[in-house]
Amino acid sequence: MRRGRALTIAQQFFALRNNPICAGEGQLRREHLIWKFDVRPSDMSRSYRARIELSQKGSPMVFIDGPDLHVLAEGRKLPHVYSDHPPRLCLYLPGAFEWMREHRLDLTIVPWIALWLFYFEEWLWSDDWKGGGMHPGDLEAARRVGREPIAC
Amino acid sequence: MLIGPNEQFRRASLTGALEIMCEELELSPTQAKDAKTHYEASGGWLADSTHPALQGISIYVQGSAAIGTTVKPIGRAEHDVDLIARLTMSARGYSPAFVKKLVGDRLKEHLTYERLLVEMCRCWRLDYASKFHLDITPSIPNVDCPYGGELVPDKELSAWKASNPRGYKALFDKRATLAPRFRVSKSAFAADESSRASVEPYPEAMGFKGILRRTVQIAKRHRDVHFSRRPNECAPISVIITTLLSRSYERCVTQRVYDDELEVLTDVIAGMPEFIDFDGRVWSIENETTVGENFAEKWNVYPDRAGSFYAWHKKLLEDVVTLRSIEGLDRIARRLDDAFGERPAEIAIAHIEDAISASRASGTLRYGATGLVAATAATPVAASAAVARNTFFGR
Repeated sequence: MRRGRALTIAQQFFALRNNPICAGEGQLRREHLIWKFDVRPSDMSRSYRARIELSQKGSPMVFIDGPDLHVLAEGRKLPHVYSDHPPRLCLYLPGAFEWMREHRLDLTIVPWIALWLFYFEEWLWSDDWKGGGMHPGDLEAARRVGREPIAC
Repeated sequence: MLIGPNEQFRRASLTGALEIMCEELELSPTQAKDAKTHYEASGGWLADSTHPALQGISIYVQGSAAIGTTVKPIGRAEHDVDLIARLTMSARGYSPAFVKKLVGDRLKEHLTYERLLVEMCRCWRLDYASKFHLDITPSIPNVDCPYGGELVPDKELSAWKASNPRGYKALFDKRATLAPRFRVSKSAFAADESSRASVEPYPEAMGFKGILRRTVQIAKRHRDVHFSRRPNECAPISVIITTLLSRSYERCVTQRVYDDELEVLTDVIAGMPEFIDFDGRVWSIENETTVGENFAEKWNVYPDRAGSFYAWHKKLLEDVVTLRSIEGLDRIARRLDDAFGERPAEIAIAHIEDAISASRASGTLRYGATGLVAATAATPVAASAAVARNTFFGR
């Protein structure tokens, strides 16, 4: 796969700030950005407050600051999250080139947040995650059968 | 008041979900064709009788199957298809009990029909298990009706009573063809270059296939669910719901202007009680297509039924209004479940989810100010981003 040039934190920040689909507010530090914005995953959905954080090194971290997803889930364990408090969403498969540092956050992570929340609302009712995906155990299994290892 | 594009999209999606729900609840075109083949055959069998009173008998479909407002009953697989076996003037002078027996006896002469036949109060049922019930009610011409009406047996088979299924269908069909007027058409909105709608992905445009028919189906299904939880109460009969809605619909679409189909639905439902007459003593919902048929006659014998109607109507209106305003796919699903039952809610939500998932799989999904949209080639795509391929990860 041909790799482009990695975007800087500042470039990511300005892309987020200039894209109307994620209009919001944030902070840009030397090696760290925070962007907060509202996401309405579909015209029938609630509006959620999302937060993206990205450092010069490391992967983007995505949190939902409100409404409280645990309250909505009524005690059920949230699907496809890295951590629970606050919920940090797992949006892509690490090491599988779905997200790389040359990808703009506003054109990848932002739509994926909407997609996650869409399937989350559907899951709230059906208790069945329809968005597909993989679990860490699936990766272990893939390695055991000799498929290309994927770095987490 | 002109509603914004987000609200417009939301209501269009909801209308689409209700539309899918109604499609699932009604008699399918295949089932309808199958029923027609069977009832035409049974009509032929009746007409071939040698009994003089059955000479020239004709069979036709009446009620919800005739006007396109069928709703699958709760708790059984079979739709009811109501038929009239219309005898000619040669049957005049016979009692309802005798005419009913005559029809039943003729059906029993047929080996298949004899096996399927079930006797009901005033009609005969051919029970095609897991498909439909063909309910055959005999009728004779009503010479006193200026609209070409008929006489059918009353429940006790003691007297003939006025009815006019063909006239009723004609009037309903005429009202159903009336189109509501909308403040701003969807196409006009999309064509307005300065509006936000023109630069955002446009959702699947899917209105009701006939607002009056869908309104009747939605109300009837809501009634079935509502009264299935109230076994001690008596549900309003379908013809009352259909009559009140069609009269209200005619008034709404000829006198008012609306934002969208959901607003029409709500307003038509809200207007139902205004077509019930009560003089302080007698309830009346008259059949406008004949003389002397009061659809609410039982309310005068059992006044609780009027109370049950009004309580149900209030709940129906509340549910429809709430559906228009709540946010969250899960909350909409729960409300649909509560109002129309689990299976219809599943179908409506699956329709929404399938559209997004299919578009995601084909790489045409976009995210913009109105949310995720299954975009088409013709869709304006400014102010939106394609949803790249991803794999949700994590525990």
